[in-house]
Amino acid sequence: MYRYVVKRLLFLIPTILGVTFIIYLVMNITPGDPARALLGVSAPQADVDALNHELGYDRPFLEKYVNYVTKMFFEQDFGKSYFTKQSVFDEIWPRYIVTIKLALIGIVLSALIGIPPGILTAVKQYSLWDTIPSITAFFIAAIPAFVFGMLMLFFFSLRLNWLPSYGATSFAHYVMPTLTISIPPAAQIMRFTKSSMLEAIRQDYVRTARAKGAPERVVIWKHALMNALLPVITQIGLSLGVLICGAVVAEKLFSIPGIGSLIIDRILYKDEPIIIAGTILISICFTVVMLLVDLAYAFIDPRIKAKYTTGGGRE
Amino acid sequence: MDRFRGKLVLRYVLPAVLVILALMFGSAAFAADSNRVLKMRTSITLPSLDWEQTTTTINMKVWHQMFEGLYGMDEAHGGYYNELAKEVKISDDQLTYTITLIDGVTFQNGDPLKASDVVFSYNRARRNSRFNYLTSMIEDVKAVGDNTVEFKLNTPYSPIAHTFFCIKIASEREIAEQGDRYGTVPHKAGTGPYYVTEYNVATGLKMKAYEGYWRGAPAVKDVEYVVIGDEAAAVIAFQNHEIDYFEDVPMTDWDFVAGAAGGHSKLLKGNNIITFNINYLSPTNNKVLGNQKVREAIFYAINKADINMAACDGRGVEAYQYMPDDYVPTSPKEGFKIYDYNPEKAKELLAEAGYPDGVDVGTILTYGDVTAIKAVTAQVIQANLAEVGITAQVSVMETAVVTPRLYAQDYDLCIFSDYGNFDYNNIRQQVHSESTGMYVVRYRDDNSPFDWKRIEELVDLGVGTADVQKRLGHYTELWKIISDTATILPCVHYAVGVAWSNDLDIGDAVPTYYKIRNFKWL
Repeated sequence: MYRYVVKRLLFLIPTILGVTFIIYLVMNITPGDPARALLGVSAPQADVDALNHELGYDRPFLEKYVNYVTKMFFEQDFGKSYFTKQSVFDEIWPRYIVTIKLALIGIVLSALIGIPPGILTAVKQYSLWDTIPSITAFFIAAIPAFVFGMLMLFFFSLRLNWLPSYGATSFAHYVMPTLTISIPPAAQIMRFTKSSMLEAIRQDYVRTARAKGAPERVVIWKHALMNALLPVITQIGLSLGVLICGAVVAEKLFSIPGIGSLIIDRILYKDEPIIIAGTILISICFTVVMLLVDLAYAFIDPRIKAKYTTGGGRE
Repeated sequence: MDRFRGKLVLRYVLPAVLVILALMFGSAAFAADSNRVLKMRTSITLPSLDWEQTTTTINMKVWHQMFEGLYGMDEAHGGYYNELAKEVKISDDQLTYTITLIDGVTFQNGDPLKASDVVFSYNRARRNSRFNYLTSMIEDVKAVGDNTVEFKLNTPYSPIAHTFFCIKIASEREIAEQGDRYGTVPHKAGTGPYYVTEYNVATGLKMKAYEGYWRGAPAVKDVEYVVIGDEAAAVIAFQNHEIDYFEDVPMTDWDFVAGAAGGHSKLLKGNNIITFNINYLSPTNNKVLGNQKVREAIFYAINKADINMAACDGRGVEAYQYMPDDYVPTSPKEGFKIYDYNPEKAKELLAEAGYPDGVDVGTILTYGDVTAIKAVTAQVIQANLAEVGITAQVSVMETAVVTPRLYAQDYDLCIFSDYGNFDYNNIRQQVHSESTGMYVVRYRDDNSPFDWKRIEELVDLGVGTADVQKRLGHYTELWKIISDTATILPCVHYAVGVAWSNDLDIGDAVPTYYKIRNFKWL
């Protein structure tokens, strides 16, 4: 198990290298330069060239890339923002925390909203307990997150005046954004839970458990749900990854200072240090989430745990 | 099964509901503290507390609350007034400006304002390329004693007032003490009525009234700027009383916002312009845009009323001038060619140019949000042109990608916008080959059919005299030449909507440079 975790963590290195390389490449081939964006349209070209030189922007692509990676790995230096002159890490980290907070609360809400009706619809298949939640989930899955956000802003801020419409300074500020980003994945989680549960409760071991006289609660919770959870956890993990990258909808709508909106804003200024560092942090987070998902498999499924601990590995 | 359902409710649903309710009730705190603090919205991040770090008007409006220049601008009534300058003497050759500073001014850190601070601030700005268009005419600045500054110009320059307004004075000591941190942390380097107490690039800043302000302490003591990028969210925040002053209200929401503000709203003619530009040097379709008749046909095919309706909700003003004379007295009002919507004439010109069945003229390039004014203008023009048989594609891309292409004349047609022009000399950026950036139509070129020498001569003549009538004469001739080239078509001046809280008095509403020191709670 330990070897597996270490191996997965080491996999972060090529991931980061790949991400930085792609981002650098993309930034390099797109037109425009940071000095022009910073100095404005009326600055003489000579000054623009001088600033680009000072920022190291005029160096060959590979040289820039190698320099950046070297500093990042050996000096933990992500550089300074072209736009604000502040340390990239100092700018990104607080926003990153906000986004992680948003995504984590969002995914917990998604699971809370999605899993129980998913179980219910499977257990009560072909009844109204199945039809109504299923149709609702189908309907909700088709609505973009920002529509929920706008509706909530309208009702909870504008009409009822219960919740603040922007910012992220208190728990109250997180209610609408987290609901906004959690409802669409909740619908997906519900459908995943339902189909997974339906498959599980038709398995022989569930039939056997019932035949042995196990209470229905035990049959559902212990025998069916534990086995049905594996694909649901995968879905939750993927949704969390998507939320970390895609919380930008809520960030923009509710003026929350998160990492996604920061990257989008700075693309306008070609603020490479911020864009690259932000993307790296997101990719690290995504990889860690996927690792946690795999570890959760082992926690839930004893067969997988045994495979790791007996040295079988996953090769 | 019932037990299972009961557990389900107890374990999941109930806690979730309780959490949400707790969070909702927790929100009561947010409404209580906004009574005394003036909440202002800014649509973009303030990248620095050093006013020299950008020339973006949205940011400058914030800095104007902390810093002051030698001149101020009276946007409501027009013209400039002496701010930190008490007396201004101009030499006969108009090359030397001797400015005496007003007495009793102190920086927010308590230091008295001295001539050396003015010299320091101007020299700092002169080294900054962003302000090249404002300072390139200044040859030297020096202090004459503690209270007087002398500016030597390299040429007579009548729009110098705009320079005196734009360049802000900062405390040399404060900047030296903060060193590299200056701009990234709160400071007291300005002479303005407010200083910053908290600053966060991501979320905004908080300011406090400077009680020692030389005009007297402002009535509103605490101000907070919050970054709300999304327009719809800003509208809701205003309606929800979470912001007290809302500028640049989206026109699509104007009725809603104005209704919410009661009588506390005003629709102002914007000091801005949306133009449609043609790159006559474009190689597209065998240099079709090099044909004068084709360019004129394009201009006559454009219906500015359609643009106003679609892009400005009908609240803008169809434009014929580059700068509205409401804000720029030397802006020509007549004496130049006007291209009123005339599709029949457009078709005739097209036929005369050898394209009776229509022609493809390439791509209309613009930048910014696809729902924003420029993009909508491009779409309207595309439709207008199609009506007379001219086909064009529309391309809307990121600003950072498009603007370098425009300045390099790497486009066919484009939608451009300009705002905040308070002197007609700003036209230099569009028409003079020595200007950098915004020279979107390259009049000076080996293949130029235009009298670019006269264009540049007229720009220089315009700044060489302070006589308004003479300047108007030069600029009228200049704009006539530009209009005749059929390369820049002013389309619309979009309206600027301002709304403010019912319990706030803002004095005269202005489209750009509001002054919070004039605000007071009712």
